[in-house]
Amino acid sequence: MSRKKRLLQIPQGAEGIYLEEALKHKMVIRRIEDLYVRWGYLPIETPVFDFFDTYRPYIPADQLDKIYRLMDREGDLLMLRSDVTLFLCKQMGLALNGSDLPLRVFYGDTILRHQNFEDISKNEFFQMGAELIGVPGTDGDLEVLCLAVELLESLGIQWKLHLGSSAILAPLFSSLQTDNVQELHQAVLVRDFSTMKTLLTEGGVPDATAEVMKDLCSFIGTPREFEQFTAGINQSFYAGDIYNELARLKNLLAALDRVTDTANIRVDLSELGSQTYHTGMVFQGYTPGIDSAFLSGGRYDRLLDDFGFDACAAGFSFLLRKIEGMLPHNERPCAISAKGNSFEERLGNAKVLRAQGKTVHL
Amino acid sequence: MTDTTPATPLTIALPKGRLQEQVQELFRRKGIEFSFENRKLVALDKSGGFQFFLVKNSDLPTYVNHGIAGLGFCGEDVLYEHGGSFIRLSDFPFGGTSMCIAGKKGGSFEHHGGTVTVATKFTSFTRDYFHKEGLPVEIIKLNGSVELAPVLGLAPYIVDLVETGTTLKANNLEVYQKLSDIKVYLIANPAYYKLYYRQINAFTQKILASTADR
Repeated sequence: MSRKKRLLQIPQGAEGIYLEEALKHKMVIRRIEDLYVRWGYLPIETPVFDFFDTYRPYIPADQLDKIYRLMDREGDLLMLRSDVTLFLCKQMGLALNGSDLPLRVFYGDTILRHQNFEDISKNEFFQMGAELIGVPGTDGDLEVLCLAVELLESLGIQWKLHLGSSAILAPLFSSLQTDNVQELHQAVLVRDFSTMKTLLTEGGVPDATAEVMKDLCSFIGTPREFEQFTAGINQSFYAGDIYNELARLKNLLAALDRVTDTANIRVDLSELGSQTYHTGMVFQGYTPGIDSAFLSGGRYDRLLDDFGFDACAAGFSFLLRKIEGMLPHNERPCAISAKGNSFEERLGNAKVLRAQGKTVHL
Repeated sequence: MTDTTPATPLTIALPKGRLQEQVQELFRRKGIEFSFENRKLVALDKSGGFQFFLVKNSDLPTYVNHGIAGLGFCGEDVLYEHGGSFIRLSDFPFGGTSMCIAGKKGGSFEHHGGTVTVATKFTSFTRDYFHKEGLPVEIIKLNGSVELAPVLGLAPYIVDLVETGTTLKANNLEVYQKLSDIKVYLIANPAYYKLYYRQINAFTQKILASTADR
Protein backbone atom coordinates (compact mmCIF):
# COMPACT_ATOMS: atom_id res chain seq x y z
CA MET A 1 0.00 0.00 0.00
CA SER A 2 1.37 3.43 -0.93
CA ARG A 3 2.07 5.95 1.84
CA LYS A 4 -0.71 8.25 0.62
CA LYS A 5 -3.21 5.38 0.52
CA ARG A 6 -2.16 4.25 4.00
CA LEU A 7 -2.65 7.77 5.38
CA LEU A 8 -6.10 8.05 3.86
CA GLN A 9 -7.35 4.76 5.19
CA ILE A 10 -8.19 3.86 8.78
CA PRO A 11 -8.86 0.26 9.85
CA GLN A 12 -12.51 -0.80 9.95
CA GLY A 13 -13.88 -0.15 13.43
CA ALA A 14 -11.41 2.63 14.29
CA GLU A 15 -12.42 6.25 14.73
CA GLY A 16 -10.82 9.60 15.44
CA ILE A 17 -12.76 12.55 16.89
CA TYR A 18 -11.39 16.06 16.49
CA LEU A 19 -11.65 19.58 17.90
CA GLU A 20 -15.19 20.79 18.59
CA GLU A 21 -16.70 17.36 18.06
CA ALA A 22 -14.17 15.93 20.53
CA LEU A 23 -14.98 18.71 22.98
CA LYS A 24 -18.68 17.95 22.73
CA HIS A 25 -17.89 14.24 23.22
CA LYS A 26 -15.93 14.99 26.39
CA MET A 27 -18.61 17.33 27.76
CA VAL A 28 -21.38 14.80 27.15
CA ILE A 29 -19.34 12.12 28.92
CA ARG A 30 -18.73 14.47 31.85
CA ARG A 31 -22.44 15.25 32.12
CA ILE A 32 -23.37 11.56 32.10
CA GLU A 33 -20.63 10.65 34.56
CA ASP A 34 -21.87 13.40 36.89
CA LEU A 35 -25.31 11.78 36.79
CA TYR A 36 -23.85 8.39 37.73
CA VAL A 37 -21.85 9.92 40.57
CA ARG A 38 -24.98 11.66 41.91
CA TRP A 39 -26.62 8.22 42.05
CA GLY A 40 -23.69 6.92 44.13
CA TYR A 41 -21.95 4.97 41.38
CA LEU A 42 -18.14 4.72 41.31
CA PRO A 43 -15.98 4.63 38.20
CA ILE A 44 -14.15 1.56 37.00
CA GLU A 45 -11.53 1.19 34.27
CA THR A 46 -11.11 -2.09 32.42
CA PRO A 47 -8.11 -3.42 30.47
CA VAL A 48 -7.90 -2.76 26.75
CA PHE A 49 -7.27 -6.45 26.02
CA ASP A 50 -7.64 -9.76 27.80
CA PHE A 51 -7.56 -13.50 27.11
CA PHE A 52 -10.09 -14.45 24.45
CA ASP A 53 -10.86 -17.87 25.93
CA THR A 54 -12.14 -16.26 29.16
CA TYR A 55 -14.96 -14.54 27.29
CA ARG A 56 -15.57 -16.91 24.40
CA PRO A 57 -18.61 -18.67 26.01
CA TYR A 58 -20.42 -15.34 26.46
CA ILE A 59 -19.98 -13.93 22.99
CA PRO A 60 -22.94 -14.55 20.67
CA ALA A 61 -22.01 -16.41 17.47
CA ASP A 62 -22.99 -13.46 15.27
CA GLN A 63 -20.67 -11.14 17.23
CA LEU A 64 -17.56 -13.31 17.03
CA ASP A 65 -16.39 -12.03 13.67
CA LYS A 66 -16.52 -8.45 14.97
CA ILE A 67 -13.87 -9.09 17.61
CA TYR A 68 -10.26 -8.15 16.99
CA ARG A 69 -7.99 -10.95 18.17
CA LEU A 70 -4.23 -11.10 18.47
CA MET A 71 -1.55 -13.39 19.77
CA ASP A 72 0.63 -12.43 22.74
CA ARG A 73 4.33 -13.30 23.07
CA GLU A 74 3.52 -16.57 24.85
CA GLY A 75 1.19 -17.65 22.08
CA ASP A 76 -2.07 -17.01 24.00
CA LEU A 77 -4.98 -15.60 22.06
CA LEU A 78 -6.05 -12.15 23.23
CA MET A 79 -9.04 -10.03 22.33
CA LEU A 80 -9.36 -6.27 22.24
CA ARG A 81 -12.15 -4.88 24.44
CA SER A 82 -15.35 -5.21 22.42
CA ASP A 83 -17.80 -5.06 25.33
CA VAL A 84 -16.91 -3.33 28.59
CA THR A 85 -19.48 -5.27 30.67
CA LEU A 86 -17.77 -8.63 30.21
CA PHE A 87 -14.33 -7.22 31.02
CA LEU A 88 -15.82 -5.48 34.05
CA CYS A 89 -17.36 -8.71 35.36
CA LYS A 90 -13.99 -10.43 35.34
CA GLN A 91 -12.38 -7.51 37.18
CA MET A 92 -15.21 -7.47 39.72
CA GLY A 93 -15.06 -11.22 40.17
CA LEU A 94 -11.37 -10.93 41.06
CA ALA A 95 -11.66 -7.88 43.32
CA LEU A 96 -14.94 -8.27 45.19
CA ASN A 97 -15.72 -9.79 48.53
CA GLY A 98 -19.02 -10.03 50.36
CA SER A 99 -18.52 -6.90 52.46
CA ASP A 100 -18.31 -4.76 49.29
CA LEU A 101 -21.95 -5.35 48.42
CA PRO A 102 -24.04 -3.74 47.25
CA LEU A 103 -21.69 -2.12 44.75
CA ARG A 104 -22.53 0.50 42.16
CA VAL A 105 -20.09 1.06 39.30
CA PHE A 106 -20.05 2.98 36.04
CA TYR A 107 -17.73 3.10 33.04
CA GLY A 108 -17.23 4.90 29.77
CA ASP A 109 -14.62 3.63 27.40
CA THR A 110 -13.61 2.97 23.85
CA ILE A 111 -14.56 -0.40 22.42
CA LEU A 112 -13.18 -1.96 19.27
CA ARG A 113 -15.44 -3.90 16.95
CA HIS A 114 -14.87 -4.66 13.32
CA GLN A 115 -17.41 -3.01 11.06
CA ASN A 116 -18.15 -4.11 7.52
CA PHE A 117 -17.74 -1.47 4.85
CA GLU A 118 -21.51 -1.32 4.78
CA ASP A 119 -21.84 -0.76 8.55
CA ILE A 120 -20.85 2.89 8.36
CA SER A 121 -23.64 4.12 10.60
CA LYS A 122 -23.24 1.57 13.38
CA ASN A 123 -20.85 3.80 15.33
CA GLU A 124 -20.04 1.18 17.94
CA PHE A 125 -16.97 2.98 19.25
CA PHE A 126 -17.71 4.17 22.77
CA GLN A 127 -19.68 2.33 25.41
CA MET A 128 -20.96 3.89 28.64
CA GLY A 129 -22.82 2.01 31.30
CA ALA A 130 -23.71 1.39 34.91
CA GLU A 131 -23.93 -1.86 36.83
CA LEU A 132 -25.59 -2.55 40.17
CA ILE A 133 -24.07 -5.56 41.93
CA GLY A 134 -25.63 -7.36 44.86
CA VAL A 135 -29.18 -5.98 44.86
CA PRO A 136 -31.61 -8.76 43.91
CA GLY A 137 -35.19 -8.71 42.72
CA THR A 138 -37.52 -5.84 42.05
CA ASP A 139 -35.55 -3.23 43.99
CA GLY A 140 -32.42 -3.87 41.93
CA ASP A 141 -34.37 -3.92 38.65
CA LEU A 142 -36.16 -0.72 39.59
CA GLU A 143 -32.96 1.14 40.45
CA VAL A 144 -31.38 0.21 37.12
CA LEU A 145 -34.52 1.12 35.16
CA CYS A 146 -34.99 4.44 36.97
CA LEU A 147 -31.34 5.36 36.37
CA ALA A 148 -31.72 4.48 32.68
CA VAL A 149 -34.90 6.57 32.44
CA GLU A 150 -33.25 9.57 34.13
CA LEU A 151 -30.26 9.24 31.83
CA LEU A 152 -32.47 9.09 28.73
CA GLU A 153 -34.46 12.10 29.90
CA SER A 154 -31.24 14.04 30.54
CA LEU A 155 -30.00 13.40 27.00
CA GLY A 156 -32.86 15.44 25.57
CA ILE A 157 -33.72 13.03 22.76
CA GLN A 158 -36.92 11.16 21.91
CA TRP A 159 -36.72 7.62 23.23
CA LYS A 160 -38.65 4.44 23.89
CA LEU A 161 -37.55 1.71 26.25
CA HIS A 162 -38.78 -1.78 25.34
CA LEU A 163 -38.87 -4.02 28.37
CA GLY A 164 -39.09 -7.81 28.34
CA SER A 165 -37.70 -10.80 30.17
CA SER A 166 -35.19 -13.36 29.00
CA ALA A 167 -36.55 -15.73 31.65
CA ILE A 168 -39.97 -16.19 30.06
CA LEU A 169 -38.85 -18.33 27.13
CA ALA A 170 -35.83 -19.78 28.93
CA PRO A 171 -37.71 -22.66 30.68
CA LEU A 172 -38.70 -23.98 27.26
CA PHE A 173 -35.11 -23.98 25.98
CA SER A 174 -34.08 -27.02 28.02
CA SER A 175 -35.71 -29.34 25.51
CA LEU A 176 -34.07 -27.62 22.50
CA GLN A 177 -30.66 -28.22 20.96
CA THR A 178 -28.15 -25.34 21.06
CA ASP A 179 -28.49 -24.59 17.33
CA ASN A 180 -32.27 -24.48 17.66
CA VAL A 181 -32.05 -22.10 20.65
CA GLN A 182 -30.00 -19.68 18.52
CA GLU A 183 -32.44 -20.09 15.64
CA LEU A 184 -35.34 -19.46 18.02
CA HIS A 185 -33.67 -16.31 19.37
CA GLN A 186 -33.20 -15.03 15.83
CA ALA A 187 -36.80 -15.91 14.90
CA VAL A 188 -38.15 -13.94 17.88
CA LEU A 189 -35.81 -11.02 17.14
CA VAL A 190 -37.22 -10.65 13.62
CA ARG A 191 -40.73 -11.46 14.83
CA ASP A 192 -40.99 -14.64 12.78
CA PHE A 193 -43.40 -16.27 15.17
CA SER A 194 -44.41 -19.13 12.93
CA THR A 195 -40.77 -20.37 12.86
CA MET A 196 -40.64 -19.79 16.61
CA LYS A 197 -43.71 -21.96 17.17
CA THR A 198 -42.39 -24.70 14.86
CA LEU A 199 -39.07 -24.82 16.72
CA LEU A 200 -40.84 -25.02 20.07
CA THR A 201 -43.19 -27.83 19.02
CA GLU A 202 -40.33 -29.73 17.36
CA GLY A 203 -38.49 -29.43 20.68
CA GLY A 204 -41.38 -31.15 22.48
CA VAL A 205 -43.25 -28.09 23.77
CA PRO A 206 -47.03 -28.81 23.74
CA ASP A 207 -48.82 -27.12 20.86
CA ALA A 208 -51.13 -25.09 23.12
CA THR A 209 -48.17 -23.76 25.16
CA ALA A 210 -46.26 -22.90 21.97
CA GLU A 211 -49.30 -20.98 20.74
CA VAL A 212 -49.53 -19.01 23.98
CA MET A 213 -45.79 -18.22 23.82
CA LYS A 214 -46.26 -17.04 20.25
CA ASP A 215 -49.00 -14.66 21.40
CA LEU A 216 -46.91 -13.44 24.33
CA CYS A 217 -43.80 -12.78 22.25
CA SER A 218 -45.75 -10.95 19.56
CA PHE A 219 -47.16 -8.46 22.05
CA ILE A 220 -45.89 -4.88 22.20
CA GLY A 221 -47.77 -2.28 24.20
CA THR A 222 -47.94 -0.04 27.20
CA PRO A 223 -47.78 -1.57 30.70
CA ARG A 224 -51.54 -1.04 31.01
CA GLU A 225 -52.19 -2.79 27.69
CA PHE A 226 -49.95 -5.65 28.83
CA GLU A 227 -51.99 -6.07 32.00
CA GLN A 228 -55.18 -6.33 29.94
CA PHE A 229 -53.53 -8.63 27.38
CA THR A 230 -52.23 -11.15 29.92
CA ALA A 231 -55.54 -11.19 31.77
CA GLY A 232 -57.10 -12.57 28.59
CA ILE A 233 -54.68 -15.48 28.21
CA ASN A 234 -55.57 -18.90 29.53
CA GLN A 235 -52.99 -19.34 32.27
CA SER A 236 -53.37 -23.11 32.39
CA PHE A 237 -51.09 -23.34 29.36
CA TYR A 238 -48.15 -21.74 31.16
CA ALA A 239 -45.53 -23.89 32.78
CA GLY A 240 -45.16 -22.83 36.45
CA ASP A 241 -41.90 -20.96 36.00
CA ILE A 242 -43.25 -19.01 33.01
CA TYR A 243 -46.24 -17.99 35.09
CA ASN A 244 -43.94 -16.92 37.94
CA GLU A 245 -41.74 -14.87 35.62
CA LEU A 246 -44.76 -13.14 34.09
CA ALA A 247 -45.99 -12.33 37.59
CA ARG A 248 -42.53 -10.92 38.45
CA LEU A 249 -42.60 -8.76 35.33
CA LYS A 250 -46.09 -7.43 36.11
CA ASN A 251 -44.98 -6.70 39.65
CA LEU A 252 -41.97 -4.77 38.33
CA LEU A 253 -44.17 -2.79 35.92
CA ALA A 254 -46.60 -1.88 38.70
CA ALA A 255 -43.71 -0.72 40.92
CA LEU A 256 -42.14 1.21 38.05
CA ASP A 257 -45.44 2.95 37.38
CA ARG A 258 -45.50 4.12 41.01
CA VAL A 259 -42.02 5.66 40.93
CA THR A 260 -41.56 7.07 37.43
CA ASP A 261 -43.38 8.17 34.31
CA THR A 262 -43.85 5.08 32.13
CA ALA A 263 -45.15 6.91 29.05
CA ASN A 264 -42.04 5.89 27.10
CA ILE A 265 -41.94 2.31 28.38
CA ARG A 266 -43.24 -0.47 26.18
CA VAL A 267 -43.63 -4.08 27.25
CA ASP A 268 -42.16 -6.20 24.51
CA LEU A 269 -41.55 -9.89 25.14
CA SER A 270 -39.69 -10.24 21.85
CA GLU A 271 -36.83 -8.54 23.70
CA LEU A 272 -34.83 -11.54 24.84
CA GLY A 273 -31.69 -9.68 25.84
CA SER A 274 -28.74 -8.55 23.80
CA GLN A 275 -26.46 -10.98 25.62
CA THR A 276 -26.63 -14.70 26.30
CA TYR A 277 -25.94 -14.20 30.03
CA HIS A 278 -29.15 -12.31 30.87
CA THR A 279 -31.33 -14.10 33.42
CA GLY A 280 -34.36 -11.86 34.01
CA MET A 281 -35.63 -8.47 32.92
CA VAL A 282 -34.05 -7.14 29.72
CA PHE A 283 -34.55 -3.86 27.93
CA GLN A 284 -33.42 -1.98 24.87
CA GLY A 285 -33.61 1.73 24.04
CA TYR A 286 -34.60 3.10 20.64
CA THR A 287 -34.66 6.58 19.20
CA PRO A 288 -35.92 7.85 15.82
CA GLY A 289 -33.25 8.05 13.14
CA ILE A 290 -30.99 5.39 14.64
CA ASP A 291 -30.96 2.05 12.84
CA SER A 292 -30.80 -0.25 15.86
CA ALA A 293 -31.10 -0.22 19.65
CA PHE A 294 -28.53 2.16 21.12
CA LEU A 295 -29.04 1.12 24.73
CA SER A 296 -29.42 -2.33 26.20
CA GLY A 297 -29.47 -3.78 29.65
CA GLY A 298 -30.87 -6.35 31.98
CA ARG A 299 -30.34 -8.65 34.92
CA TYR A 300 -27.51 -11.18 34.92
CA ASP A 301 -27.48 -13.10 38.19
CA ARG A 302 -25.10 -15.91 37.24
CA LEU A 303 -22.36 -14.19 35.26
CA LEU A 304 -20.26 -12.95 38.18
CA ASP A 305 -20.29 -16.45 39.66
CA ASP A 306 -18.59 -17.67 36.47
CA PHE A 307 -15.83 -15.17 37.17
CA GLY A 308 -15.30 -16.28 40.77
CA PHE A 309 -17.74 -14.22 42.84
CA ASP A 310 -21.33 -15.24 43.41
CA ALA A 311 -23.45 -12.09 43.32
CA CYS A 312 -26.54 -11.02 41.45
CA ALA A 313 -26.27 -8.01 39.18
CA ALA A 314 -28.19 -5.81 36.77
CA GLY A 315 -27.17 -2.90 34.59
CA PHE A 316 -27.19 -1.31 31.20
CA SER A 317 -24.89 0.21 28.67
CA PHE A 318 -25.29 2.38 25.62
CA LEU A 319 -23.28 3.26 22.54
CA LEU A 320 -22.68 6.97 22.92
CA ARG A 321 -21.34 7.65 19.42
CA LYS A 322 -24.53 6.23 17.92
CA ILE A 323 -26.59 9.09 19.36
CA GLU A 324 -24.03 11.80 19.92
CA GLY A 325 -24.84 13.61 16.69
CA MET A 326 -28.45 14.01 17.85
CA LEU A 327 -27.64 15.48 21.24
CA PRO A 328 -28.26 19.21 21.75
CA HIS A 329 -25.33 21.49 20.89
CA ASN A 330 -25.35 23.36 24.18
CA GLU A 331 -22.03 21.74 25.07
CA ARG A 332 -20.09 24.09 22.81
CA PRO A 333 -18.54 26.98 24.73
CA CYS A 334 -18.03 30.12 22.70
CA ALA A 335 -14.37 31.12 23.15
CA ILE A 336 -13.56 34.82 23.06
CA SER A 337 -10.23 36.55 22.47
CA ALA A 338 -8.58 38.36 25.36
CA LYS A 339 -7.90 42.02 24.58
CA GLY A 340 -4.54 43.72 25.16
CA ASN A 341 -1.46 44.95 23.35
CA SER A 342 0.99 42.68 25.10
CA PHE A 343 0.91 39.06 26.16
CA GLU A 344 0.95 40.09 29.83
CA GLU A 345 -2.03 42.39 29.33
CA ARG A 346 -3.98 39.73 27.45
CA LEU A 347 -3.15 37.12 30.11
CA GLY A 348 -4.36 39.45 32.86
CA ASN A 349 -7.63 40.25 31.08
CA ALA A 350 -8.18 36.59 30.33
CA LYS A 351 -7.74 35.71 34.01
CA VAL A 352 -10.47 38.19 34.96
CA LEU A 353 -12.86 36.88 32.30
CA ARG A 354 -12.18 33.23 33.14
CA ALA A 355 -12.98 33.99 36.77
CA GLN A 356 -16.40 35.16 35.47
CA GLY A 357 -16.89 31.73 33.87
CA LYS A 358 -16.03 32.76 30.31
CA THR A 359 -13.95 30.70 27.90
CA VAL A 360 -11.03 32.81 26.74
CA HIS A 361 -8.02 32.26 24.52
CA LEU A 362 -4.97 34.44 24.35
CA MET B 1 -42.55 10.43 15.41
CA THR B 2 -43.37 7.78 18.00
CA ASP B 3 -45.97 5.04 18.15
CA THR B 4 -48.48 7.44 19.65
CA THR B 5 -47.73 10.75 18.00
CA PRO B 6 -47.05 10.37 14.27
CA ALA B 7 -45.46 13.53 12.90
CA THR B 8 -43.49 12.33 9.90
CA PRO B 9 -44.46 9.90 7.15
CA LEU B 10 -43.56 6.22 7.18
CA THR B 11 -40.57 5.75 4.89
CA ILE B 12 -40.78 2.96 2.31
CA ALA B 13 -38.14 1.83 -0.21
CA LEU B 14 -39.35 0.47 -3.53
CA PRO B 15 -37.16 -1.46 -5.98
CA LYS B 16 -36.90 0.00 -9.48
CA GLY B 17 -38.49 -2.03 -12.24
CA ARG B 18 -41.47 -4.33 -12.58
CA LEU B 19 -41.84 -4.92 -8.85
CA GLN B 20 -42.19 -1.18 -8.33
CA GLU B 21 -45.09 -1.10 -10.79
CA GLN B 22 -46.79 -4.03 -9.06
CA VAL B 23 -46.39 -2.48 -5.62
CA GLN B 24 -47.55 0.91 -6.85
CA GLU B 25 -50.63 -0.69 -8.38
CA LEU B 26 -51.39 -2.42 -5.07
CA PHE B 27 -51.07 0.91 -3.27
CA ARG B 28 -53.30 2.64 -5.80
CA ARG B 29 -56.03 0.06 -5.12
CA LYS B 30 -55.71 0.77 -1.40
CA GLY B 31 -56.02 4.51 -1.90
CA ILE B 32 -52.32 5.34 -1.47
CA GLU B 33 -51.43 7.38 -4.55
CA PHE B 34 -48.04 8.77 -5.50
CA SER B 35 -45.78 9.19 -8.51
CA PHE B 36 -42.08 9.80 -9.10
CA GLU B 37 -42.06 12.97 -11.18
CA ASN B 38 -39.29 14.17 -13.50
CA ARG B 39 -37.00 11.25 -12.75
CA LYS B 40 -37.08 12.10 -9.05
CA LEU B 41 -36.34 9.19 -6.74
CA VAL B 42 -38.29 10.44 -3.73
CA ALA B 43 -42.08 10.85 -3.64
CA LEU B 44 -44.68 11.67 -1.01
CA ASP B 45 -48.17 10.19 -1.28
CA LYS B 46 -51.17 12.51 -1.51
CA SER B 47 -52.07 12.08 2.18
CA GLY B 48 -48.53 12.89 3.30
CA GLY B 49 -48.51 9.71 5.37
CA PHE B 50 -45.94 7.81 3.30
CA GLN B 51 -42.65 8.77 1.73
CA PHE B 52 -41.26 6.51 -0.99
CA PHE B 53 -37.67 6.05 -2.13
CA LEU B 54 -36.93 4.44 -5.48
CA VAL B 55 -33.74 2.41 -5.16
CA LYS B 56 -31.84 -0.27 -7.02
CA ASN B 57 -33.19 -3.68 -6.09
CA SER B 58 -29.91 -4.98 -4.66
CA ASP B 59 -29.38 -1.80 -2.60
CA LEU B 60 -32.82 -1.90 -0.99
CA PRO B 61 -31.82 -3.97 2.08
CA THR B 62 -28.94 -1.56 2.72
CA TYR B 63 -31.33 1.41 2.94
CA VAL B 64 -33.65 -0.48 5.28
CA ASN B 65 -30.78 -1.92 7.34
CA HIS B 66 -29.55 1.62 8.04
CA GLY B 67 -33.06 2.82 8.81
CA ILE B 68 -32.95 5.38 5.99
CA ALA B 69 -36.11 3.69 4.79
CA GLY B 70 -37.97 2.03 7.63
CA LEU B 71 -39.84 -0.34 5.34
CA GLY B 72 -39.20 -1.87 1.93
CA PHE B 73 -40.52 -4.30 -0.66
CA CYS B 74 -37.91 -6.82 -1.55
CA GLY B 75 -37.42 -10.30 -3.04
CA GLU B 76 -36.20 -13.11 -0.83
CA ASP B 77 -33.18 -13.60 -3.13
CA VAL B 78 -31.89 -10.09 -2.44
CA LEU B 79 -32.57 -10.40 1.29
CA TYR B 80 -30.65 -13.65 1.44
CA GLU B 81 -27.60 -12.20 -0.26
CA HIS B 82 -27.61 -9.13 1.98
CA GLY B 83 -27.72 -11.25 5.12
CA GLY B 84 -29.19 -8.56 7.41
CA SER B 85 -31.88 -9.09 10.04
CA PHE B 86 -35.23 -7.75 8.94
CA ILE B 87 -38.78 -8.21 10.13
CA ARG B 88 -40.79 -9.81 7.32
CA LEU B 89 -44.21 -8.28 7.78
CA SER B 90 -45.93 -10.05 4.92
CA ASP B 91 -45.37 -11.83 1.63
CA PHE B 92 -47.24 -11.06 -1.60
CA PRO B 93 -48.56 -13.11 -4.50
CA PHE B 94 -46.88 -10.93 -7.12
CA GLY B 95 -43.22 -10.90 -8.08
CA GLY B 96 -42.73 -14.52 -7.05
CA THR B 97 -40.16 -16.60 -8.88
CA SER B 98 -37.92 -19.64 -8.38
CA MET B 99 -34.23 -20.15 -7.70
CA CYS B 100 -33.09 -22.94 -10.00
CA ILE B 101 -30.02 -24.80 -11.10
CA ALA B 102 -29.78 -24.93 -14.89
CA GLY B 103 -27.40 -26.07 -17.59
CA LYS B 104 -27.23 -27.10 -21.26
CA LYS B 105 -30.36 -28.63 -22.72
CA GLY B 106 -30.35 -32.43 -22.65
CA GLY B 107 -27.96 -32.57 -19.70
CA SER B 108 -28.66 -33.07 -16.02
CA PHE B 109 -27.24 -32.06 -12.69
CA GLU B 110 -24.76 -34.76 -11.72
CA HIS B 111 -22.18 -34.92 -8.98
CA HIS B 112 -19.83 -37.76 -8.23
CA GLY B 113 -18.22 -36.64 -5.03
CA GLY B 114 -16.09 -33.89 -6.58
CA THR B 115 -16.49 -30.14 -6.40
CA VAL B 116 -19.45 -28.67 -8.28
CA THR B 117 -18.66 -25.56 -10.31
CA VAL B 118 -21.50 -23.06 -10.50
CA ALA B 119 -21.74 -19.57 -11.98
CA THR B 120 -24.22 -17.28 -10.24
CA LYS B 121 -25.12 -13.84 -8.97
CA PHE B 122 -26.42 -15.42 -5.78
CA THR B 123 -23.23 -16.56 -4.10
CA SER B 124 -24.47 -16.82 -0.50
CA PHE B 125 -27.60 -18.73 -1.45
CA THR B 126 -25.63 -21.08 -3.72
CA ARG B 127 -22.89 -21.76 -1.18
CA ASP B 128 -25.38 -22.43 1.62
CA TYR B 129 -27.59 -24.62 -0.58
CA PHE B 130 -24.76 -26.90 -1.71
CA HIS B 131 -23.20 -27.06 1.73
CA LYS B 132 -26.57 -28.06 3.17
CA GLU B 133 -26.65 -30.84 0.57
CA GLY B 134 -23.16 -31.87 1.69
CA LEU B 135 -21.55 -30.96 -1.63
CA PRO B 136 -18.36 -28.92 -2.04
CA VAL B 137 -18.95 -26.09 -4.49
CA GLU B 138 -16.76 -23.70 -6.46
CA ILE B 139 -18.65 -20.51 -7.15
CA ILE B 140 -17.91 -18.13 -10.00
CA LYS B 141 -19.48 -14.76 -9.24
CA LEU B 142 -21.16 -13.05 -12.18
CA ASN B 143 -23.15 -9.83 -12.17
CA GLY B 144 -25.42 -10.50 -15.15
CA SER B 145 -26.05 -12.55 -18.32
CA VAL B 146 -25.41 -15.65 -16.24
CA GLU B 147 -26.85 -17.82 -19.03
CA LEU B 148 -23.66 -17.31 -20.99
CA ALA B 149 -21.59 -19.30 -18.50
CA PRO B 150 -22.59 -22.82 -19.65
CA VAL B 151 -22.81 -21.71 -23.30
CA LEU B 152 -19.23 -20.39 -23.33
CA GLY B 153 -17.86 -23.07 -21.03
CA LEU B 154 -17.18 -20.95 -17.94
CA ALA B 155 -19.18 -23.34 -15.72
CA PRO B 156 -21.40 -26.36 -16.42
CA TYR B 157 -24.14 -25.08 -14.13
CA ILE B 158 -25.75 -21.80 -13.21
CA VAL B 159 -27.94 -20.93 -10.22
CA ASP B 160 -30.33 -18.18 -11.16
CA LEU B 161 -33.87 -16.87 -10.81
CA VAL B 162 -36.25 -18.40 -13.34
CA GLU B 163 -39.64 -16.87 -13.96
CA THR B 164 -40.80 -18.09 -17.38
CA GLY B 165 -37.67 -19.87 -18.63
CA THR B 166 -37.71 -17.92 -21.90
CA THR B 167 -34.12 -16.63 -21.58
CA LEU B 168 -32.89 -20.11 -20.72
CA LYS B 169 -34.67 -21.58 -23.75
CA ALA B 170 -33.30 -18.89 -26.05
CA ASN B 171 -29.79 -19.87 -24.99
CA ASN B 172 -30.40 -23.59 -25.35
CA LEU B 173 -30.44 -24.13 -21.58
CA GLU B 174 -32.98 -25.76 -19.26
CA VAL B 175 -33.82 -26.02 -15.59
CA TYR B 176 -32.36 -29.14 -13.98
CA GLN B 177 -33.80 -28.58 -10.53
CA LYS B 178 -35.83 -26.01 -8.62
CA LEU B 179 -33.94 -25.14 -5.44
CA SER B 180 -36.39 -22.76 -3.76
CA ASP B 181 -39.46 -20.61 -4.25
CA ILE B 182 -38.65 -16.91 -4.00
CA LYS B 183 -41.31 -14.55 -2.64
CA VAL B 184 -41.60 -10.79 -2.36
CA TYR B 185 -41.76 -9.48 1.19
CA LEU B 186 -42.64 -6.26 2.94
CA ILE B 187 -39.71 -5.86 5.33
CA ALA B 188 -39.04 -3.55 8.26
CA ASN B 189 -35.94 -2.42 10.04
CA PRO B 190 -36.41 -4.00 13.52
CA ALA B 191 -35.64 -0.76 15.42
CA TYR B 192 -37.95 1.25 13.18
CA TYR B 193 -40.70 -1.29 13.80
CA LYS B 194 -40.24 -0.97 17.57
CA LEU B 195 -40.76 2.80 17.38
CA TYR B 196 -43.65 2.86 14.92
CA TYR B 197 -45.32 -0.52 15.36
CA ARG B 198 -48.83 0.93 15.63
CA GLN B 199 -48.62 2.83 12.33
CA ILE B 200 -46.81 -0.04 10.62
CA ASN B 201 -49.39 -2.59 11.75
CA ALA B 202 -52.19 -0.31 10.57
CA PHE B 203 -50.43 0.18 7.22
CA THR B 204 -49.86 -3.57 6.78
CA GLN B 205 -53.49 -4.32 7.57
CA LYS B 206 -54.56 -1.68 5.08
CA ILE B 207 -52.59 -3.08 2.16
CA LEU B 208 -53.55 -6.65 3.01
CA ALA B 209 -57.22 -5.82 3.52
CA SER B 210 -58.31 -7.86 0.52
CA THR B 211 -57.32 -11.51 0.49
CA ALA B 212 -56.74 -11.21 -3.28
CA ASP B 213 -53.54 -9.30 -2.51
CA ARG B 214 -52.03 -12.04 -0.35
